[in-house]
Amino acid sequence: MPVDWRGRHSTSLNVDDQTDQARFAEVFLPHLVDAFRLARWIAGNRADAEDIVQEASLRAFKGIRTFSGGSTRAWTLTIVRNASYSWLAKNRPSAVVLTEDLDQRAREEMERGAEDGDVPTPEAALIAKMEAEEVRNAVATLPLLFREILVLREIHDLDYRSIAEIIQVPIGTVMSRLARARKLIFATLRESAR
Amino acid sequence: MSVSEQDELVLNAYLDGELGPIEAARFEQRLAKEPELAAEVDARRVLRDCLRSGLAEDVPSDDLRRRIMAVVGSAEVHKTRPWARSWSSMAASFLVGALLGGGLIFGALNDQSQQDVASQVVSAHIRALMAPQSFDVASSDRHTVKPWFAGKLPFAPKVIDLSTQGFPLVGARIDVIGLEPVASLVYSKGKHQISVMEMPNPRGLSTQLTQHAEQGYQALSWSDGKITYWVVSDAAVEELKTFVGLFQAAAS
Repeated sequence: MPVDWRGRHSTSLNVDDQTDQARFAEVFLPHLVDAFRLARWIAGNRADAEDIVQEASLRAFKGIRTFSGGSTRAWTLTIVRNASYSWLAKNRPSAVVLTEDLDQRAREEMERGAEDGDVPTPEAALIAKMEAEEVRNAVATLPLLFREILVLREIHDLDYRSIAEIIQVPIGTVMSRLARARKLIFATLRESAR
Repeated sequence: MSVSEQDELVLNAYLDGELGPIEAARFEQRLAKEPELAAEVDARRVLRDCLRSGLAEDVPSDDLRRRIMAVVGSAEVHKTRPWARSWSSMAASFLVGALLGGGLIFGALNDQSQQDVASQVVSAHIRALMAPQSFDVASSDRHTVKPWFAGKLPFAPKVIDLSTQGFPLVGARIDVIGLEPVASLVYSKGKHQISVMEMPNPRGLSTQLTQHAEQGYQALSWSDGKITYWVVSDAAVEELKTFVGLFQAAAS
């Protein structure tokens, strides 16, 4: 197996002998469904997601020579994430809130959720009573950073290391943010079940 | 919620399969004793199931692939070295050609492209046999195998148990055929292995059984209109036809 200059194993591509189209077809295209799902969860609808993935595919194609081994899936999703953020910044600047600080309302929900200890509806029972679609809709209202990490973990089934690579934060941040995201979705669901 | 912040990180890591075996075993002992902790894990599992339940519909349109190929096709191409150009451009034009039709590659196939798919299917089978284990999930229980595919594929494959008819299911894996992920079921017959690959058939035409031979392997294919099936093995053709008959009967 070829080893690149970083000493990592590269994929089966013999990089010098391929056209950019062939590389693109091997690196980006197999992850089209994953790419679409990430963009759809970030943008919130299918049409915008397809525009984003199209833009991401052009970026990936132009940058295909920067792919130097490692996970093609993480590489692809990183580009799709960046393209999604550019798209949001251009089309919905107010949606790009890149902070983990919660607004007043979300903080109150979290606090109230914590006080519910004396009237315990276990979250599992709470969700079981809801339609799956309701739950997904609630996730769609989460702040961007929390929604994104939940989607990468649950929809894309990525491990912490890959998530850290894609969203470019340390693993410790992945852990704490994911824990908060799950808590926050339970608080949101409690609120809507009230 | 009376779970400490530290416990919460651990229970999330446990749920996400990020704990080492020793830590995980230790945590499971705690779960057995601490119902509150177990309820928290449970809730997160239910949330996961909910999020994953709509995955089959969460796929892009065929149009997206066409748009992408149009964009990429018209983008500027880097120069390749002259000696590399001839065969690689041929390979690229095959790839681009195959992709232009999107998922249509599995639709009404002409003989040539069906032969291409047959070669890919046989290669995937051989590659699997070369690995230490020819499947990613080992199970003879279709109720284990079917959920294993959920979330890995944009469609729900048929998983059929033929152990009472002499073809036990041994496991499953994902192959990539025509750059699309497909479901592969692995059955055994004596010393032979049989791979059944299932891929969506967007054209919706059902087709009769066709037979290809490649490098000593038999590849049999048919389509029921929704799914195109390929059965690959080095077992005797008669045996494979029996298998196909049983599979078709159970699948319909």
